[in-house]
Amino acid sequence: MAALFGQDALTDNGPGYAFSQAPSSAAGGIRERSFYPYTDNGGSTLGIAGEDFTILAGDTRSTSGYNINTRYAPKVFKIGGDDSEGTNATIILSVVGFAADGQILKERLDTIVKMYRYQHGKPMSVKACAQRLSTILYGKRFFPYYVHAILGGLDEEGKGALYSYDPVGSYEREQCRAGGAAASLIMPFLDNQVNFKNQYVPESGEGHALQERPRVPLKRKETEELVRDAFTSAVERHIEVGDGLQMLVVTKDGVEEIYSPLKRD
Amino acid sequence: MDTLVAQYSRPLFENEGSSQEEQLELIQTLPPLSLKFALPPIAQPSAFLRATTDDHSNPDCPIKIAHGTTTLAFRFKGGIIVATDSRATAGNWIASQTVKKVIEINNCLLGTMAGGAAGTMCAGVTPQEGPALYYIDSDGTRLAGNLFCVGSGQTFAYGVLDAEYSYDLEDEAALELGRRSILAATHRDAYSGGFINLYHVKEDGWVKHGFSDTNPIFWKTKLDKGEFSNVTSELD
Amino acid sequence: MPGFDFSNHARNAALHAQGFPLPKATSTGTTIVGCIFDGGVVIAADTRATSGPIVADKNCEKLHYISPQIWCAGAGTAADTEFTTALISSQLELHALSTGRNPRVVTCMTMLKQHLFQHQGHIGAYLVVAGVDPTGVGLFTVHAHGSTDKLPYVTMGSGSLAAMSVFETQWKSNIDREGAIKLAADAIQAGIFNDLGSGSNVDVCVITKEKTTLMRNYIRPNERERKQRSYVFKRGTTAVLREKVVERVDIGKYVTVHEVPLEAEGEKMEVDA
Repeated sequence: MAALFGQDALTDNGPGYAFSQAPSSAAGGIRERSFYPYTDNGGSTLGIAGEDFTILAGDTRSTSGYNINTRYAPKVFKIGGDDSEGTNATIILSVVGFAADGQILKERLDTIVKMYRYQHGKPMSVKACAQRLSTILYGKRFFPYYVHAILGGLDEEGKGALYSYDPVGSYEREQCRAGGAAASLIMPFLDNQVNFKNQYVPESGEGHALQERPRVPLKRKETEELVRDAFTSAVERHIEVGDGLQMLVVTKDGVEEIYSPLKRD
Repeated sequence: MDTLVAQYSRPLFENEGSSQEEQLELIQTLPPLSLKFALPPIAQPSAFLRATTDDHSNPDCPIKIAHGTTTLAFRFKGGIIVATDSRATAGNWIASQTVKKVIEINNCLLGTMAGGAAGTMCAGVTPQEGPALYYIDSDGTRLAGNLFCVGSGQTFAYGVLDAEYSYDLEDEAALELGRRSILAATHRDAYSGGFINLYHVKEDGWVKHGFSDTNPIFWKTKLDKGEFSNVTSELD
Repeated sequence: MPGFDFSNHARNAALHAQGFPLPKATSTGTTIVGCIFDGGVVIAADTRATSGPIVADKNCEKLHYISPQIWCAGAGTAADTEFTTALISSQLELHALSTGRNPRVVTCMTMLKQHLFQHQGHIGAYLVVAGVDPTGVGLFTVHAHGSTDKLPYVTMGSGSLAAMSVFETQWKSNIDREGAIKLAADAIQAGIFNDLGSGSNVDVCVITKEKTTLMRNYIRPNERERKQRSYVFKRGTTAVLREKVVERVDIGKYVTVHEVPLEAEGEKMEVDA
C-alpha cells in the first residue's frame, strides 16, 4: 500500500490544500479539516501607461516564509496570443499574491481571449478584456483568487491602457499602479514621479496662485528607467523582492520582453 | 484496509485535467447571464470568507477588500444633487484616490456606491414620480427620502447638510452645499478623501459638475471664506 | 542586574486581548557562524536587520565585544543581543579586575546562560560565544532559554541551515586560519543568498592567543547599482504654508552653539547616492 499511495493514502490524491491545523469536529460526529488554501508567494509588480505604450513589470522571485522557491518565476504574461509562447499577443497581464491562483487566472483569461478571436474572427479589445477579467474575479466573490491583477494594452485610439483590480473584481483604468509585497514602497514613488503629486512649479505664485506641476506623458525610455529604479529600491528594503526584473512593453508593433538581473540577497 | 482505501480514494488519473463542466466553461467566452458563484468546498463558506476577507473582524486577513466612503444625495426644488468622495481603502492602505463612485445608469438615472456594510443610492427623475431618491443596502432595505448620506463619513456630511439644507435652495447653492458636505467628511474621516464628484439630476437628465481635487478646495474654503479656523499653520 | 519595569504589563495584555497589535521589535533575522582552527577561533555574521518583511538596517553590526579576547555573534531580537552582551561584558570586566586574571570563555558562557534562563526565554537573544583564554580556544552557542552547546563549528539564526550545509560539506579537522575564515565567510554567504532574513555584507572576527582581528565588511557582495535617473527637486517644488528663519544669534540665546567642521570624519551617515 505504501508503494501505491505514498505516506497518506487518504490525502495523497486529494486536492493538495494546506491542512495545517488539527481537524475540528462538527455535530453528528463528522470531522472537518481546517481549510486554508492560500499561501503568500511575495514579489511585487508595477504598471505604467504611456502615450502610445504600456509597461508591466514584475520581479521574478517566488518565496514562502524565509525561503526562496525559485529565482525565476514570471509574474507578467502575454494574453491571447497565437500559441503557448504568446506570439502576436496585444494584451498583457501581471498577477501577484498566491502564485497558484495567479497561474489559474492567467490561464483562464488567456483561453477566453483566444476563444474570442476564434469565434469572432478579430482580437479582443483591452476594454472588453478588462471587463471580462472583472467578471471572472467576481465569479469567485465567495472563494476569491488571492491575487492583485494588473492588465495592460493599447486602447481603441492606440493610447496606453492600464487596468488594476482588487481580488474580487473591482477595477479602474489608471495611469500607474504598483501591486504585491512592495506596493506600499513603490506606489508613493509613482504618484510623485508619474503623476507629479505634491510637486509645484517653483516661483509660479504665492498661495492659491502656486501652480501644480503639469502632468506630461512620459517617454518610453524614461519610463523604463523609472521602473528599474523602483525595483532596485524595493529590493534594498523588502526581503521578498529580488533576483530578476521582467518587463513587458506593449506598443503598436507588439509585445517586447526585457529581462535584467536584480540583487539576489 | 484495502476496502477502506478503495472506498475513500479515487484513482489518481480521475483528478487530472479538468472536468467536463470546467472544459465547457473555458470555451464559453461570454460570462453566464446568471451569476454562478464558486464556493469553497467546506461546510461553512461564510466563516471561511470572514476569516480571509473581513478586515473588521480579522485585521490580519490576507485579502483586504476596498471599503470606506462618503456619498450623499438630496432632493430640492431644482432636482437632486448627488456627491461623493473618491477614496478606496484596504485596511490602513489608501488603495485609490480616483474611484468613480457615481454610476451613470443612463442619461437621467444615477447610482452611488459604497463598499462594506454601507448601502447605495439611486437618483432619477421620472414623469410619474418627479425627482425620486432611494436608499438601498445589502440587507434589502429600501427607503424613499429627501436626503441621505452613506458611508464611514456619513455623520460628518450629515452635520453640514442638515444644518444648511432647505428644499427651496437655488441650483448654485445646492451644488455648493453638496460639495461642502463632502469636504467636511473628507476633512474628518480618514477613510474618505481624494476628489469630489458632483452631479445635478434635472428633469431632462443629469449634468456633471466636475471631479475636483479636495486639497485646493479645502484651502480656498479656509483662506477665502474663513472656515476651518481650527486649522492653523502658526509656528509659535 | 538591570531592573525590568513590568508596570505596563497588565495594560498591554488587556490591549492585546482586544486585538491591539504588539509593537514590532527589530529582529536580526540573521546568519551567524563560528569555527575553531589550530590556535584560534573565527566568528562571522551577515549585516541585515529586519522588521517583518522590511529591511530595517542594511549594514548593522552583529559581532559584539565582550572582552579583548572574547567576542559574541548575536541573533534574535536586536535590543536583547545588544544589552545582554553589554551587561555580561561589564560584569566580566569587574570579575577580571577582582580576580586579577583574564576572563575565560566558559565563564562568559555560564553567565549568559544563567541570565537568559532566569528570564525564561523572554529575552530573545541567540548567541555564538567565541574566544581564547589561558585554558585554550572556546566556542559555544547559547539559546534564549538558556541551553548551550560546545562544538568545533556552529551556526545560528534563520540562515543557520543554509550555513550549516556549507560546514557539513566542507569542514575538516586541522583546518588552518585562512581556511577557517574562508569557510565561515562562505557559510555566511550561503545564508545571505538563500535565507531572506539574512543579507548584505559579511563581518568576520578572528581571535588567536596573540591578538583579535575584527574585519568589518570583510566581503561586500551586494553593492547597490547606480540609479538610472536623478531625483533632485528644484528648490521651491514643495508648497510651503509658512516660513520662519531662526538666525544663529537668536538660537544662541537658548542653547550653546558650537562650530562643527563640515563632513567631520566619523560623523558621516551612510546613504545611497
